[in-house]
Amino acid sequence: MSSEPMLSVRGVHRRFRTGPTVVHALNGVSFDVAAGSMVALVGRSGSGKTTLLNVIGGLDRPDAGTVHVDGTDVTALDEDGLSRLRREKVSYVFQSFGLIPVLSAAENVAAPLRMARVAPTERERRVELLLELIGLADHARQRPAELSGGQQQRVAIARALAASPQLLLADEPTGQLDAETGLSVMALLRGIVESEGVTVLVSTHDAVMMALADRVIRIHDGHLDEQAAGQPYAPAPDAR
Amino acid sequence: MKRWLTRRWPTPHWPSIRGRGRADVGPLLLTAAVIAAVALLAGAAPALLRAAADDAVRDTVRRAGQDSNVLVHANWERDDGPTGGRVRMPHLADDLGDFRDRATSALGPDLDAALLPPVTAVNGPILTITDGNAPRTFQFTYLAGDLDGPDVTWIAGSPPGPTVSDEYVEVPYGGPPWPVQVGLSEADAAALDLGPGDRIPVKDGQGRDKDVRISGIYRPTDSADPAWRLAAALLRPVPGADGPGTTRFAGLLSRESLPDARLAVDEDQLRRTVHFAPVPDALTWDAAAALAAQVVKLKATSGSSSDRDQSLKWESQLDTALRDARTRNSAASTQAAVLLAGVLTATVLVLLLAANLLARRRTPVLSVARQRGAALPDLGAELIIESTVVSVSAAAVGLALARAAAPGVSWTWAVPVVLAGALAGPAFGTLAAARASRDRRQPANRAARRWIRATGQLRRTAVEAAVLIAAVAAFVTLHQRGLLPVDSDGDSGELTGDLILPISALALGALVGALVLLRLLPLGARFALREALRSRRPLAVFSAAQAATTAGRALPLLVLVSTTALASFALILGATVTRGLTDGAWSTVGADARLDVGADAEAATPALAERIAAAPGVGQVVVAQVTNSARVFSESTLLTPRLVVVDTAAFQRLLATTPLPDAPALARLRAPGPGPGEVPALVRSSDGDLRTGTRLQLPRDGAPAIRLAAVGAAPSVGGATDVVIVDAAALADAGLPAVPNTVWVTGPGAGRAVSNTGVASDVVLRADVLRAQRVAPLTAGLVRLAWTAAAVLLALGLLGLMLAAAAGASQRWQTLTRLRTLGLRPRDARWVAAGELLPPVVVTAVCGPLLGALLARLTLGPLDLWLLTGQAADPTAVLPWWLLGLVSVALLATAAAVVPVESALRRRDRLSEVLRAGE
Repeated sequence: MSSEPMLSVRGVHRRFRTGPTVVHALNGVSFDVAAGSMVALVGRSGSGKTTLLNVIGGLDRPDAGTVHVDGTDVTALDEDGLSRLRREKVSYVFQSFGLIPVLSAAENVAAPLRMARVAPTERERRVELLLELIGLADHARQRPAELSGGQQQRVAIARALAASPQLLLADEPTGQLDAETGLSVMALLRGIVESEGVTVLVSTHDAVMMALADRVIRIHDGHLDEQAAGQPYAPAPDAR
Repeated sequence: MKRWLTRRWPTPHWPSIRGRGRADVGPLLLTAAVIAAVALLAGAAPALLRAAADDAVRDTVRRAGQDSNVLVHANWERDDGPTGGRVRMPHLADDLGDFRDRATSALGPDLDAALLPPVTAVNGPILTITDGNAPRTFQFTYLAGDLDGPDVTWIAGSPPGPTVSDEYVEVPYGGPPWPVQVGLSEADAAALDLGPGDRIPVKDGQGRDKDVRISGIYRPTDSADPAWRLAAALLRPVPGADGPGTTRFAGLLSRESLPDARLAVDEDQLRRTVHFAPVPDALTWDAAAALAAQVVKLKATSGSSSDRDQSLKWESQLDTALRDARTRNSAASTQAAVLLAGVLTATVLVLLLAANLLARRRTPVLSVARQRGAALPDLGAELIIESTVVSVSAAAVGLALARAAAPGVSWTWAVPVVLAGALAGPAFGTLAAARASRDRRQPANRAARRWIRATGQLRRTAVEAAVLIAAVAAFVTLHQRGLLPVDSDGDSGELTGDLILPISALALGALVGALVLLRLLPLGARFALREALRSRRPLAVFSAAQAATTAGRALPLLVLVSTTALASFALILGATVTRGLTDGAWSTVGADARLDVGADAEAATPALAERIAAAPGVGQVVVAQVTNSARVFSESTLLTPRLVVVDTAAFQRLLATTPLPDAPALARLRAPGPGPGEVPALVRSSDGDLRTGTRLQLPRDGAPAIRLAAVGAAPSVGGATDVVIVDAAALADAGLPAVPNTVWVTGPGAGRAVSNTGVASDVVLRADVLRAQRVAPLTAGLVRLAWTAAAVLLALGLLGLMLAAAAGASQRWQTLTRLRTLGLRPRDARWVAAGELLPPVVVTAVCGPLLGALLARLTLGPLDLWLLTGQAADPTAVLPWWLLGLVSVALLATAAAVVPVESALRRRDRLSEVLRAGE
């Protein structure tokens, strides 16, 4: 593990204005994540989990504070810089998979590689490896509609890993899956951390999933409240 | 208690209805605007057409002029005296009154109300004035209205009086000419240089002198009195009435001198006629059928031809004019109905698309409502209340505007639009709410996923098959049955059930075309995707993938293709009618100008033609003998085609220099006939009675009939459908020399050349015919409707494009945002968006006008456009390429504008929000 943190968040504030109301989604959030670790981000709905992931990935800009990914100040990047960051260092996994329905599983996985203009031979090799990694090598030619929800999420994870990112942000990746499938997806993520050395920051509600994380960060009302790794999830007093 | 009584009825939540209405006021107003606009068009068009139908009936009768008069003839009672002479009948004018009354009472109340009070005319034979060098003719005439003839003031002498005062006079046959007194108009008297007491030196066709004396000189009180039109020479000398260079004069008889006029000429030479002129303003579409039937009935009673028979003999073209007008009206109504059906179909599709968009917008709200416990029937009821209020009030506004703009309003056509507006929103909304609240997870079982896909495909195939079967049935009905009512007299002008299927043929055809493209587009998109996957350009892959993803969406493509095809059809219809009017004017006139020489002046026609040919600016001049309803026998069947006897070489040259279709077969008429003694002829008929190979006989008085052999197809002459053309020289060789009565003239100076011929003739100018046809109520109305329908359909198409873009925008930008999380740059995202939007638009821009042209080719024939254009046959579809091109350009330009506009609007949305919205 490198001494330099893969992710460094410092004093991040993010406010949203809804009419006359100002909501402090993130209120001076600061934390570091070491490279090659899996961190679970937990909190009730509206606590700021997704906002934090979006700020980290450059999908949203903070009102104050900085975010460094592998030493790059995300908050200082322009659109092209952010696009490059997403192509090279940060990947996402979403609750609703976000696969392109007309492309096969293999072609979906290859999408980031095409974006990075990876040579076809290398692209095919990488896709094959990833599909094997997620256990869907036999489903390479199937389209998303022909796959189950769990299989689709696995393909989405493989796609996120295709461009060899250093940081993988997963926003409720098991939200649309049943418990068993969700657990297998989380196990896959855990395995990827182990095998690929990717840093994973995953937001989740599921206590079982949290048990797989190296570290759990609880967020409520824009503030962080760290929890020990592998400890059972204890809801915040004000959580409903 | 019955179950339905205990079932809970939907209970709408009124604050939710108000809240949703306020939140989606834009889409709801758009829906209302579409419904109102189409209700305005659909409500006003039939009423305007109905008004145009009344105008068309009046216009047709006005154009027919005196041909539409109802004339009644009757022989006189014989005047044989007991001693072998002729008896003077002093009460002849009273008999004439009885004759008029008999005719009037036979009319029936409806026909009587549609006709002006009758004018009775008694005309003597054409006599020749023997004095002077200039050829002059004379005719004495008696005119009587309700009481007496048109009012005159006697400025010299006195009204004509009786020759004798005795009550009973018998005149021997072959005696000296019986004197008759007449009055002369000032102009006639001055031209003849005669005055009261003078005799007019005249003799009849047999050279017998007649004793016509002038009793006085009169001045008409009202020279515009319609009665004078029956004998214009009573007002002033009429040059050319009896041939070129000849001037006709006329003498006015009085009640007292009428008995003497009868004795002055042979017994059958004095003809009495009652003239009933129609009152065009009293004629309507509704009344026309009954009036035409009554005229036919009266004409059918004119069977007796005995010389001594005094029964009424009716003669009129009013029934033909009214029936023609009704047939044209029926054709125009159904043509308009076809266009309206197209507009309504497109509107319903656009409303479905708008409802779909609204349902997408409302899915989160409806989903929350479901989560809070709202039942689907309650949500459905709330949506129905909202959509019904919007649709009905919008339609009411549209129909009210239609009522203000048109002389009436028809709500029938607005019903489908209101229904679509009222039901589409709730259907999509309820479906969205149901989907939102059910388990959305993809089944883990592969067989279950396959079953879901198969069910969807089966449902879609069933709908497509139903549309296809309906379209085939509609086209078959259209071609076999046509669009005209089987019985034009029974046509009420309302859309009847048997017409709904053929009228829908166009709209169904457009839908089938759109469905075919809907099947092909995904194949094309997948092919493009396969090609793109082989390339190294990521943008090509993502664009093709996006296009392939959305290519199967039915509603957007159905709307785009249907509206574009129907708009193109409307443009083609408008252009075809406009062009058809020009061709129809050529067909009707046969040249730039036509001279129909009066029967009395036919002998002078060749000389007249030579004079016209020498005039400046005249190109071709062709004379012909044209006989309408000539009696020709085919075996034992009597046919009544238009017989044209013409110098075929000259006629062929004329056709070659005009837009009229060439007729190379005319050359065959100058060759010997196929059999001995047979004259070759070209024939044309609407029902196939006359065809190549037919043997015809042209009967002659006192001589054997001339045998004609049909050797080819004749061109249309003067718009007639049944025509026989023979060469003048060939017919003369067979013993029947032609007496030309028609002169066709081409060239820029044709109009001027035929206008001053000095011969009693009807001048028909192509420019006048074209002008009249263009402003004819039905034609102008149909062309206006075609252009309006095209504009409305194009507007609906563009609206559909924007709605389709808006409906897919959320998902599109969701996908693009996901691609951006993979590293896609913002400017590249716009290209990918364009890649998704453009394929259906490009396909529509190319295939829509082509589909419109195909539909025009399939449907224009049965539409019977020739009835309005005056052409002899169904017009060929005219493709206004630049207008069709404009339709395509408008679509492409709108699509090209949508991407940057959408991109600019979406730029305000943070990527994070877009992603969150999609969760």
